[in-house]
Amino acid sequence: MAAPLLFLAPSLVVVFAVLVFPIVFSLVVSGFKWPLSVGAGERAFVGLGNYVDLSRNPEFWNSIKLQLGFIFIAIPIELILGYAAALLLNREFLGARVVRTLLLLPVFFLPIISGMTWRFMLQPRYGPLNALLLTLGAPEITWLSDPTFAYLAVVVQDVWRMWPFMFMLLYAGLTSIPDELIEATVVDGAGFWRRQRSLILPLLTPTILTALLLRIIDALRVFSEVYVMTEGGPGSATLLFSLFANRVAFGYGEVGLASAMAIFLLVLSIVFAATLVRKNMSLDILEEKAGGR
Amino acid sequence: MKKAAVLAILALMTLAVVGAETINVLLWDDPYPKALQQMLPEFEKATGITVNIEMLQPPQVYTKTAVAVGKDSSDYDLVAMDEGNIPIFSSLMTPFSEWPTGKVYPKVDVKSVTPAMLDVGMWEGRLVGLPINGNLYVWMTRKDLIENPQYQKDFKAKYGYALGVPKTYQAMLDMGTFFNDRGIAAGFGPFNGGPAGVLGEAIFMWEGYGTSFIDFKNGKYKVVLDKKKATEGMEFYKKLMKISPKGAETMAHVERQAAFAADPKGVFSMFIWPAQIAAYEDPDKSLVAGKIIYSAPPAGPAKTAAVRGTWALGIPVASKQKQAAAEFAYWWASKDIAERLVEANTVPARTDALTDPRFAASKPWLAAIAESMKYATSRPRLKEIPQIQDVVKKYWIMGITGQMPCASAVDAIVNETNAILAKAGY
Amino acid sequence: MNKRRRKFLRNLLIGIAAFVVLVVELYPIGITVLNGFRRDIVILSGRPFELSQLTLRSYALVLKNPSFLLGLKNSIEVGLFATLLSVAIGAMASYGISRYRFRGRNVLAYGFLIFRMLPQISLVIALYLMFKAAHLRDTISGLSLSYVSFNVPYVIWMLLPFFAAIDRSYEEAAMVDGCTPFGIFWKVFLPLAAPGLVVSAVFAFINSWNEFMYALILTGVNAKTAPVAINGLIGGETLTWGQACAAGTIMLVPVFVFTVAMQKFLVRGITAGGVKG
Repeated sequence: MAAPLLFLAPSLVVVFAVLVFPIVFSLVVSGFKWPLSVGAGERAFVGLGNYVDLSRNPEFWNSIKLQLGFIFIAIPIELILGYAAALLLNREFLGARVVRTLLLLPVFFLPIISGMTWRFMLQPRYGPLNALLLTLGAPEITWLSDPTFAYLAVVVQDVWRMWPFMFMLLYAGLTSIPDELIEATVVDGAGFWRRQRSLILPLLTPTILTALLLRIIDALRVFSEVYVMTEGGPGSATLLFSLFANRVAFGYGEVGLASAMAIFLLVLSIVFAATLVRKNMSLDILEEKAGGR
Repeated sequence: MKKAAVLAILALMTLAVVGAETINVLLWDDPYPKALQQMLPEFEKATGITVNIEMLQPPQVYTKTAVAVGKDSSDYDLVAMDEGNIPIFSSLMTPFSEWPTGKVYPKVDVKSVTPAMLDVGMWEGRLVGLPINGNLYVWMTRKDLIENPQYQKDFKAKYGYALGVPKTYQAMLDMGTFFNDRGIAAGFGPFNGGPAGVLGEAIFMWEGYGTSFIDFKNGKYKVVLDKKKATEGMEFYKKLMKISPKGAETMAHVERQAAFAADPKGVFSMFIWPAQIAAYEDPDKSLVAGKIIYSAPPAGPAKTAAVRGTWALGIPVASKQKQAAAEFAYWWASKDIAERLVEANTVPARTDALTDPRFAASKPWLAAIAESMKYATSRPRLKEIPQIQDVVKKYWIMGITGQMPCASAVDAIVNETNAILAKAGY
Repeated sequence: MNKRRRKFLRNLLIGIAAFVVLVVELYPIGITVLNGFRRDIVILSGRPFELSQLTLRSYALVLKNPSFLLGLKNSIEVGLFATLLSVAIGAMASYGISRYRFRGRNVLAYGFLIFRMLPQISLVIALYLMFKAAHLRDTISGLSLSYVSFNVPYVIWMLLPFFAAIDRSYEEAAMVDGCTPFGIFWKVFLPLAAPGLVVSAVFAFINSWNEFMYALILTGVNAKTAPVAINGLIGGETLTWGQACAAGTIMLVPVFVFTVAMQKFLVRGITAGGVKG
């Protein structure tokens, strides 16, 4: 069957050809002590030494914990908000088109500028958020100085920026559901929640799952906005995985260690993907749910 | 045969003219290189060399230099090296003694560079980079606050000595507390941003209390921090944090500038890197332009310490345009350009420009920089400094914000730094 | 109350709710846009906004900044080029994966996904070495190629649900008519998948437009993109907040224009295709 190959060839060439060297490079380099600059010392083979170092490094496990927390807190919230907004805005009222397009602005916002703006908003003395707190009679909070609040702020920033992404995907999915199907359930006398459960959610499942997957792979790479907001601090309270990898690779100049982190993540993702496939998220099942017609 | 030879010679000559030299330069982003960039067309006209300047934030300058400058090939012909990174890049840079002589601009005499700054470019006995700015701690004090007769009277009544530019740590604390408690201005502006800067503040305190952090003895780096003195230094800084603006625990350069120059109340006194003075003296950006007195930092119980943070220019060994790159460096470090840079409120490293009496009145910080240079001290320089900086930042901030007792914080710093040094083989 | 009035009231309430949501959501962007029209001193003083504070100074400085202008131009070129390639390549691959049930389909699809999960930091150094050897460093095409490498998996997965929802009967009919596989894809399938293509084009463009790490390391003075140029305005050491906000606002415009253009351009496809029955 040559046909699928015809369609797949360009992507295979681009993605695998461009990425195969970097991945092999990471794998090989992860077995070395490999300084970022050749002037910083000799490269030395350390076998599994980097992996051992990582497993013994509390900062590494801390960054994983923070990263997972970030994913499991921010993404569900983004999904719920996006879903609610998609339902709300899936009708033609005055200015609907404008609202739907403008709502996407946070997703367009440059991450560095977003981080900078949030850092600005959260400052005491001149930050608008604290000004708001003061007018409400509440005390000023030094958000970014407190570990918990700083982490919260980082999560809120991501939710703020990316729930419109979920909205856009879910809305696009919703508009693909023929109106007659929805009206049929109304005629049947089905209430709002019943309609969601029996019709809309099942039809939207592939879109929701894809949206979740895409958000997760992006959330794993989150970097610029958090770096500008907190640099990983206070202490290591917001030192997410990419920030720690950045510190290791570009701060300490330890490319070997950073590569070990990448391979660690690669293995984790393979396990994750394999679990998904086994747990009935193989493509066949996804397609069945999409209507399998 | 003859025709071919003539054609060949003509072609080569054309190439020599058309393939005019181009150099790629990597600099840090700051009003200083920006001021230089304005003057660039003159250089290009005088020498026929095209200069491509890439300007990045300091951490990214380090990253790109590390990635792009190798032993055999280099994307850049001239790079600016931050003081702390010189050990890492030293082996990749051409020693100054081997830099080509200039065709248009004479090779800079090292004696023209202020001695305190020249030290920055030295590593393992050789000058591997040409220090290009005179950057070390200078103290800023609010002139309008100390010249106010009512405050002078009240302060003298309360503390028993005259209000003025703080000359000791105790004075800094007393005066800062005086203004802070009365809500007139914040007492102090700490720096709790990037790790290199926090290490600077820590060294400032520790040296002021009489102890060094890391020494190089017998080919090995050792932690020589006196825990008792270091804890005293940290405790003192903790007191300073109490008279600092809200949110001081994460204050980086922008927040410091916001507090000192944009906030109507401002800050009584704090250190500043001369490189940033231009912004503080710009009436467009600063409410206190013209109201600042510059001086050397106040003295601690043991001595005065002015932390240094200078950039040096290096020419990679692998560069194929060393002649042109050197030409650019000599132009930059020449007296004429240095004087014009001073006029633009930036701070080159030439002694003659810094001490020129013509500028003394209009650029009051120059005298302060010269004074500070007498007390110049530097952060430890070794390849493992990035990890050590992170350790210091982590525990220093925890200590000064009261999240952990200062003594424990100092203990942690010493222990973890020792671990890093041991792992590195010292 | 009759049905029409009820519907009108309901839509009105929804309109109001939507407006409130929009205002709250756009508040941080509003602040950034506003700060682009204020001086740095004012922004950082904590003073509340007054009309007299408005100034065009930051915009003037930013628009005169050759580095930023070059960055904008490069970003637009790279963005468009990378998006075009990514969507074309990704749509074909997604079609191949979803329409042909071959063995290893899951491995391939999830393989793309896994590759996309790797952080840029670990890939960028190797990419730098590769590009340097291939003379692609500091070129628009080189940077675009690196962007295509992370956009294609994204596009593939974004399109899968859209492609899956399309009725096979359209293709079967075309096959009966004697269309080549590629012809079916191009003439029948793509128009039906228009909403999905819009979404994936928009996000491929956004991902390319906002990308920083690859741009920082893989470009120099020639192919520098806007995020790298703006980075200098964020001012680790000096205060150029107004300019950073102005630049950030300017950066929003091309993406917005692109999105609106995509929606308008392919809205025809939606009504023509008739997925909605």
